[in-house]
Amino acid sequence: MKKSIFVVFLIMFMVFSAFGAGTSEQAGPPTVAFSPGDMANPSQAFAAKMFQKYGPDYGLNVIILDGKGDAQVQAQTVTNAIAQGVKAIYVNPNDVNAIIPSLQQAKQAGLIVGMFSSDVPAASASVRNFFVGVNDLMAGETAAEAFKAAFPNGAKVIEIGGQAGHDAQIKRHDGFNKGIAGSNITVLEYQATQQWATEQAMAIAEDMITKYGEEIDGIFCHWDNGVTGVANAVEAAHLSKDLFIVGVDGNMAGFQQVRDGIQDVTVMQNFEAQAKKTLELTKTILDGGTVDAINFVPLDVVTLKNIDTFTPPEW
Amino acid sequence: MNKALMKAVKEYLVLLLVLGLVLITAVIEPKFITSGNMTNIMRQFGPLIMVAMGMTFVIIGGYIDLSVAGIMSLVAVVTLSLIDPIGQVGAIFVGLLIGAAAGFLNSLVITRSGAMTQAEGLFISYGMSVLYGGTALLYTGGVTNHLSYIESNYSLFTLIGSGTVGIFSVSFIIFLFLLLILYIFQNFTYTGRAICLTGGNKTAANLTGINVNRTIIIIWTISGFMAGVSSIVLFSRVTTASPVLGKGFELNAILAVVVGGTSLKGGKGSVARTVLGAMLVILLSNSMNLLGVTVYMQNVMKGLLLILAIWLDNLKGRR
Repeated sequence: MKKSIFVVFLIMFMVFSAFGAGTSEQAGPPTVAFSPGDMANPSQAFAAKMFQKYGPDYGLNVIILDGKGDAQVQAQTVTNAIAQGVKAIYVNPNDVNAIIPSLQQAKQAGLIVGMFSSDVPAASASVRNFFVGVNDLMAGETAAEAFKAAFPNGAKVIEIGGQAGHDAQIKRHDGFNKGIAGSNITVLEYQATQQWATEQAMAIAEDMITKYGEEIDGIFCHWDNGVTGVANAVEAAHLSKDLFIVGVDGNMAGFQQVRDGIQDVTVMQNFEAQAKKTLELTKTILDGGTVDAINFVPLDVVTLKNIDTFTPPEW
Repeated sequence: MNKALMKAVKEYLVLLLVLGLVLITAVIEPKFITSGNMTNIMRQFGPLIMVAMGMTFVIIGGYIDLSVAGIMSLVAVVTLSLIDPIGQVGAIFVGLLIGAAAGFLNSLVITRSGAMTQAEGLFISYGMSVLYGGTALLYTGGVTNHLSYIESNYSLFTLIGSGTVGIFSVSFIIFLFLLLILYIFQNFTYTGRAICLTGGNKTAANLTGINVNRTIIIIWTISGFMAGVSSIVLFSRVTTASPVLGKGFELNAILAVVVGGTSLKGGKGSVARTVLGAMLVILLSNSMNLLGVTVYMQNVMKGLLLILAIWLDNLKGRR
């Protein structure tokens, strides 16, 4: 009895596999896949939503293959995409080095490979057709510019980093350091978080306020939802002066905090524009055209003065 | 004499570590012992200790609960979303109910599937955590919600998150109240003692007339409820309910419980000692931040602390 059930399942599996293998050859728009690093990350969930929203505008059917915050799982999503016969795969990598072998396989299988938001190292650039994203180094530099503009006579700031080891955290930190180099902006202390978690940013802000108190003129936090925690810590500390607070993302929280006067600047990365650009490049290649390898989508600097000129974000 | 000293060191190592840490940090960074920092520590202490107190019962009962992270995320997003439609008191009530119900559901899966070993319970609770976390993401569409978006009155959450009574934060008072209840439950009730016996040896506990399944249901429900309380305290503090709010809390809670002296083998432990363990975990982060130690080194220290605690527990077992 058990044997017969096994045989039935085996036959069903073979039949489905046989039909499944032919899916990509069937009529209908070409299928492309987006592999976000982690759908639990609101910004990546929003990017996935944008891909699915705008895919049909470019004649593409978009499927989402979640990397689940794990480099190995994400590498598996790429090989799954190859097996499904998709025309293109876009990856927002959890680990830019660990994803390279699977991208190489995808490229060899004839897929269009696009890096989204984070690029592979320059030495491995041949594994992808193009990169679309914001320059996180530039995000850090933009934050530094905001501090230099607000404090022409110099300031002492705290930097609270995103998830330690994450590509964006490293680049935003490096960009910020590069931006303030040679200026009279001094970083009193830098501390990264274990995850992009609001409560961790808040705990670090509380500890730094305890340590430096009134010495602090401003705080650069790598992400807007972290700024929410930072702002709570600042409010609870009842400092005698307002701190200048800068975040990166330009999400709903960042916009609201800028409107409420809690946050002075949010450096906005536009995921809607990035998704559209990625789809546009894919369409160009599918139509036989050529595209630039590096495609930076400009960052927007949002302040209370210009906030009404931007479309409010949905994430 | 030496034996007695060694015994005392093993027994009170956590307390000694806490004291040592306090002394070293206070010498290097005097601001560590200011009243402002004590208030910080009290506030940071709240969410972790609550989930750790619930976890203590699960570990004494012979299991490990990884579902608390998912429960915390789910409770946070649902509670916040209910403030406008049903008011803040109703939202808190429903949030706590969801926490307890999730713990109860865990226990049903465990008892009905006959998962009597720690490993089985561990993987079931991991699966349930993914389920609750996924439900939270589905519920919100991945979007983080903020208390400031709420149109109704949410003063109760502000009180829980940042209110004080004298020198004590409200979350600290909630913790003291829950500690008292759980301490009495563990030490002065039949069920409290039954949990220890169940965790020590389920077959023997069954033979002595203890309803093992009932005990399992109680410990998991307590853990779920406490994860719910922790979630509400945490999102009141950060004013943000993210669908990944509880991420990482399960490991810190296990660390706090084990460092506090509760045996991972089950059967023995104390909710009061978990308080010491949680204090050490929070003090470790706080003092290392003040000393400018990187997050990478903080992780190394936490890992070493967990290994040391398990090692000591094994040494005690050999005596």
